[in-house]
Amino acid sequence: MRVLLVEDDESIGHGIVAGLRAHGLTADKVSSAAQAEAALATSHCDVIILDLGLPDEDGMSLLHRLRAAGTALPVLILTARDAVEDRVAGLRAGADDYLLKPFDLNELVARLHALLRRAAGRSVDIIKRGPLRLDPASGEVWLDGQAVILSRRELALLAALLQACGRILNADQLKDSLYHFNEEIESNALNVHIHHLRRKLGADLIETVRGLGYRIATVNP
Amino acid sequence: MSLRLRLLLMIGVSLSLLWGAVAIWMLRSLDEEVHRTLDQRLAMSAQMVAGLMSQNPAAWDGRNGKQGVSTMKMPPMAKSFDCQITSLRGEVIARTPGATLEAVAAVVPGYSERSIKGERWRSYTFEADGLRVTTADRLAERNSLLHNVTMAAVVPFLVAMIGSLIVLWFGVRNGLLPLERLRQMLASRAPEVLTPIPVAAMSRDLLPLVNTLNQLLQRMNVTISRERRFTSDAAHELRTPLTAIKTHLQVARITQGKDAALAMDYAEEGVARLQHTLTQLLTLSQIEGPFSWDDGNLTDARQVAQLAIRDAAADAPGRIDFHSDGNASKLALPQALAVTALRNLLDNALRHTPAEQGVTLELQSTGTTSVFRVRDHGPGLSIKELEMVTQRFWRRGSGQGSGLGLSIVAAITERFGGAFELLQPPEGGLEAKLTLPNMQ
Repeated sequence: MRVLLVEDDESIGHGIVAGLRAHGLTADKVSSAAQAEAALATSHCDVIILDLGLPDEDGMSLLHRLRAAGTALPVLILTARDAVEDRVAGLRAGADDYLLKPFDLNELVARLHALLRRAAGRSVDIIKRGPLRLDPASGEVWLDGQAVILSRRELALLAALLQACGRILNADQLKDSLYHFNEEIESNALNVHIHHLRRKLGADLIETVRGLGYRIATVNP
Repeated sequence: MSLRLRLLLMIGVSLSLLWGAVAIWMLRSLDEEVHRTLDQRLAMSAQMVAGLMSQNPAAWDGRNGKQGVSTMKMPPMAKSFDCQITSLRGEVIARTPGATLEAVAAVVPGYSERSIKGERWRSYTFEADGLRVTTADRLAERNSLLHNVTMAAVVPFLVAMIGSLIVLWFGVRNGLLPLERLRQMLASRAPEVLTPIPVAAMSRDLLPLVNTLNQLLQRMNVTISRERRFTSDAAHELRTPLTAIKTHLQVARITQGKDAALAMDYAEEGVARLQHTLTQLLTLSQIEGPFSWDDGNLTDARQVAQLAIRDAAADAPGRIDFHSDGNASKLALPQALAVTALRNLLDNALRHTPAEQGVTLELQSTGTTSVFRVRDHGPGLSIKELEMVTQRFWRRGSGQGSGLGLSIVAAITERFGGAFELLQPPEGGLEAKLTLPNMQ
């Protein structure tokens, strides 16, 4: 799962990104509304964490604009504004969740997973696909009831493909899910991770669609 | 005492007193008038009888000398009105039937009063042409007449008086209705509602009161929203470093090695930030509170500058260039506060000046005041930013500092009668001018 954090406080931003990465999420931080819009326009993300007090614009008006432009991404507002009116206004403006600072990192991660799960139309956290089961929150994977150990990147890749529900994801989208900004990526890194996944979970799990990208194979019951 | 009761008592009592006095006055003159009229009746009756008798002397002349009996019938007169005619020698010529003898027994001409068998009588004796005519009436009758007249006058008077008191009660109640409505309107307000009271339907006499109340409400509204904003800003300022500390501590717990060490560094920095904000907040509330800062020490302006430089540039002492005009004045404010104000200005100047450049501090004494000028080489401030700069918790962008430094400087100068302004010198940067009063 790739998270875009919009937070102007350098220290808090750094802490959240480090915490999310430690929980196996791919997270990137921008510190203004303009940077957030630029990041959304150029790369893929699954969920936005939005601080309200941004230097160039109020987070609420950024949210209004995103929703008016038709962005359906789940948005979690993370703010120190604790008045009930603020919370109601945030949710009315199109936020999917509202978390107050100071918060608990585990709670933030759990809420992000819940948002993503809802966005994918599931009501339980565990994703099932044939003999394969994945718990995105804990990062655990089972094949035919046997636990499989995956690396952080492999896990993120598998989660991205499973959450796409059989849609084709191109290489750039997959890379966005695996790597944060400014991370150096070797040209064949994606192929390597896909190869590892196929070796651990079965060669027919991931289909290559020539010229387009990859998708999870449909399961024949 | 309620306004209504006061009005009722005041008007009611004065009305009753006034009307009572008039009534007493009226009854007295009525009493006199009745007595005078009845006396006149006695006298006129006697004179009329004497006149009639003298017109026809023959009618009674022949009877002269016959003693003791009424020789001439007189028609029975009104009850308790007696009349007797005698000759000057005392022979009774005529008498009303059943007359009380003692009452009509003549004494001297004119009015007289006497008591007969426990009853008061008043008589009038008139002498003319050898006749003596005495008329008499009972005072009890007169009093009964007077009583009747009084009753006839007093009952309507009392009815009118009670009626006017009732009208007064209704009038006062209705007249005070707008006041009562205003009271109810105020009583039914929730304590947090500070919107103005609507003046459209208000009685004109109440308008000044309502307008004053509305002004008070507006001032309270401004004060409360300012306090509320301050509290909310303060909460935000404290939550931000607290969030950073908490997040980094949690990160440190789930990571190892370099990441954990970095998280601990961030957490420590957050603690320092929180501590700074708390110290500044406490300083501000102490400056504005009733706390006494007087430590009894005289404050030397030059020493203030040196202490502030030491505090502000502890790690880079060479960055502040200090000039003084040589006169060492004593400042009329506690040393700790003068140092705090100047240090906040130096902190800001250093923060906004590139690390390789310095900051100048100039001290001039003008007799009554000492002027500190802090010049930096930073980017300066826009007009809009100059307006916001002393607002609490304002800082440029997401810059460093608590956002309270200049608010503290402004609060110190306000309390001790100094002045503080920010100037944009033509050569760039920003000049902070702090004027502090000298000891006289």
